[in-house]
Amino acid sequence: MRLTLAWRWTELRMLLPLLLLVPLGFVVTHVAEAGVLEPGPLTLAFGYVALMLVAHAILVLSGHRGDQLLLPLVGTIGGAGLVILNRLAPDVEPTQAFGLQLDVAATQLAWFAVGLVAMLAVAIGLRDDGLLRHYKYTWAAVGIGLLVLTAFLGYEVNGARLWLDLGPIAIQPGEFIKIILVVFIAGYLADNRALLTGASLRIGPIRVPPLPYLLPMLALFGLVMLIAVRQNDLGQALLLFGIFLTMLFVATGRRSYVLIGLLLFVAGSFAAYKLFPHVAARVDIWIDPFADPTNKGFQPVRGLFALARGGLFGEGLGQGLPQSIPYVHTDFIFAAVAEELGLVGAFALLALFLAFVFRGLRIAMLARDEFSALLAVGLTASLALQTLIIVAGNLKLVPLTGITLPFVSYGGSSVLASFVMVGLLLNVSHRTARAVDREQGLKDR
Amino acid sequence: MIATNVRRLAVYLLLAFVVVSGGLGWWQILDAPALNARAENPQVIAARRSAMRGTIFDAKGALLASSAVIDGVSRRTYTDAAFSHLIGYASLRFGTTGVERAYDDILTGRADPNPLRDLMNDILNRRPEPKDLTLTIDKRLQDFAAAQLGDAIGAVVAIDPRTGAILAMTSIPTFDATPISELPDPAGPAMARITGRPGNPLVDRARQGRYVPGSIMKVLTAAAALDAGAITAHTTFPDQPQQETDGFVVNGFTIREHDLRPVTPALWSLSPALQVSSNIFFAHVGLELGAQRFLEYAHRFGFCAGGSIGSGARALPVSASYVTAETDGDCGPFTDDVELASASFGQARVSVTPIQMALIAATIANDGVMPALHAVRDVRVHAADAAGGPSSAVLEESPSGDGSRVISVDAARVTRSAMVDAVEGELGRLYAGQGSVQLYGTGSDVHTAGKTGTAQRGEGQAPHSWFIGFAPAQGDAQPSIAVAVLIEGGGSGAGRAAPIGGAVMAEWLRLAGGG
Repeated sequence: MRLTLAWRWTELRMLLPLLLLVPLGFVVTHVAEAGVLEPGPLTLAFGYVALMLVAHAILVLSGHRGDQLLLPLVGTIGGAGLVILNRLAPDVEPTQAFGLQLDVAATQLAWFAVGLVAMLAVAIGLRDDGLLRHYKYTWAAVGIGLLVLTAFLGYEVNGARLWLDLGPIAIQPGEFIKIILVVFIAGYLADNRALLTGASLRIGPIRVPPLPYLLPMLALFGLVMLIAVRQNDLGQALLLFGIFLTMLFVATGRRSYVLIGLLLFVAGSFAAYKLFPHVAARVDIWIDPFADPTNKGFQPVRGLFALARGGLFGEGLGQGLPQSIPYVHTDFIFAAVAEELGLVGAFALLALFLAFVFRGLRIAMLARDEFSALLAVGLTASLALQTLIIVAGNLKLVPLTGITLPFVSYGGSSVLASFVMVGLLLNVSHRTARAVDREQGLKDR
Repeated sequence: MIATNVRRLAVYLLLAFVVVSGGLGWWQILDAPALNARAENPQVIAARRSAMRGTIFDAKGALLASSAVIDGVSRRTYTDAAFSHLIGYASLRFGTTGVERAYDDILTGRADPNPLRDLMNDILNRRPEPKDLTLTIDKRLQDFAAAQLGDAIGAVVAIDPRTGAILAMTSIPTFDATPISELPDPAGPAMARITGRPGNPLVDRARQGRYVPGSIMKVLTAAAALDAGAITAHTTFPDQPQQETDGFVVNGFTIREHDLRPVTPALWSLSPALQVSSNIFFAHVGLELGAQRFLEYAHRFGFCAGGSIGSGARALPVSASYVTAETDGDCGPFTDDVELASASFGQARVSVTPIQMALIAATIANDGVMPALHAVRDVRVHAADAAGGPSSAVLEESPSGDGSRVISVDAARVTRSAMVDAVEGELGRLYAGQGSVQLYGTGSDVHTAGKTGTAQRGEGQAPHSWFIGFAPAQGDAQPSIAVAVLIEGGGSGAGRAAPIGGAVMAEWLRLAGGG
């Protein structure tokens, strides 16, 4: 087999700053905490940058033509996350796996490696979209199977049954459900778009969706939501709902669908508030965390204090008190960034996410077929909404939920799922580029 | 088509990121100063851990509370358990209470009493300088009052009726505030030991305890009825002598008199009725005044709403007293005339704090003007050596807030004269017995006004023993101390509370006279 090299100079150029930034973050943290610089922790930093560069090299060697900004953006976001996790590591219980004891930063780095492998496999391995598109019902079945398995065999952490024990490691199947849901909805909408956008019932000025065509999708969606709510995973339910509405909007262009969906969501939320005590408790804490600042409101209140301490330029890495927030390395990692790097640093992180989102949407716009476009939109929307929901939760703009900040929060399943999504986006843009090449080739000939 | 929708989606997502950024700016910049100052903030807690805290002295400069920073930890110690409820504690573990809480920003130096200097310190980001406090209380009187109570569960409150300055305020059982304030780690077990003792030692009975007042309430009933013109000093109720023996039927319910022996019922006006503490007479007075006016005067005297010692942000809250059942934080209506008649002699649903009752005595003593209470006399520059007494540099004096006129001078004077008779009159002595007479036998020409209360509680429970009074009360003398004494389940007012009230007043006059 002949190697088809495709140089990716932009990607390489954009990755190079990481060589400076990530080790610098580690150095600053350790000088602030220990007062001395030890070479030990720097291996993690250089290990991380090396991983990114190897991933880049493999893309080059495989002749990948996908978007060149995705990897540097994800690499920078993940690098910032690793720096913060390394700073929090002394205050977070280390993990045990395969007889090793690793702190959260080292564990996260291992997951980054696994994630990058998965990303490359998806980005390079998928020759066409058939595997995804034509087996959408199979994927849906796999997804539901995973959810049911978790609901019955999973174990609870902090009141939510989200985890599946796989011997040495535990995974959160919920993180992968969203990918399956995006693939299924993209496939279904691409197949039935004409029907969905064309015929529609009108009741007065309101356009009602043609329900029969939406039914299979609604059924699956309803099932997923039901299980998510039953598992007490409200953030996940909100995220899945957001993905569904966004993809429906992009496929049909109907704002009314979104409006109806939002109304349903508001009604559903109100019903959940009245029916489920744990939902009501979460909402009450959200409305006034200071009503019980030492008990129920403890975590959000500590999060707000961290934001306030940060101010414009932040306390500096290793110099704040982010460890005063419970679950800071998962739920409140954004508040930790905002505390130690300040408003400036938090804005920079948000800007990186926004750039990633715009890049993802660009891939969708350039895509040559509807399935690919909807797939890219769904994946991008998933990461965007996930970011917005958890950041807004940290900022008390919406009730706090336990979902992760992609690439930043500690968590293997989250990191792995997020990288698979990047892989799919790379794959879509690669196939677009190839299709453009073929058209160019045909013209040239 | 899809591309257009994606472009729209991009705009919506951009807007969402903008909103989130706005939220970030709000917490990190706009609301940050408020958050950074909150007591629950771990940064504030950490700063507090090592921060110096101002000293608290009594009115004569005796040391009551002081801090020392040892090994980076600020340790607070207290010298006198008689002050534990008023001063409270400043614990790294349990937060602050009492004066420590009300004056926290001053004691820590986070705030300067002078608003202009406060602003300058804020702008220049100066290190906080702790400030010292001196109280209005003379430690000697406070200790004397606590010693008088001994092991009896109860409270003593003494007020200067002219200024509203607290002269003594102690609650028994009390506790040692030092172990819960000195170091954070042993504070937990220390607190558990305190809360494990009987009698809820942490409760400030003077401020937070609510009790049936019994006959001391008759002072308010009389003052209100006199001021409203419902009665005069000479008003009598012709049916009263017979009702003393037969009972007074109101709305079909018979109100019975307590045992008046050795006195024989007769046609009484206010003074003799107060001397023998006739329930029937005051039931008539209350009915004559009417439910609406009774509630109105109760409000004027400070009932039906929470009170305070000091004002504004540095006020120590005082629990509300009620004359009827509490309804939405206010006194509800009287259900019927039976309740009104019973409330007029301090039973039914009346519940009062010792401070509220001391305020009634002070108001009568001050010719009908109710003084505004305060317990902190001034704020001073922090004295480097606490043992050397307070600095002479006073930064702020507590305003001796203007009192509010509750009843006319005439009504106050008539009530006062009846209260003097109640402790010194022929019937009063006969009724109350020798115990109450002796306390005024200081050999001097100082006269005293007062009223005892024996507040009936439920079946099988000993009554609360009450006394309110003031001195000196002869002629046109300006009273300089008003007291309220409560002993939970202490039995007769004359037997327990009155002698303590008299002794505290006599001690104060001795201390004030002797310098």
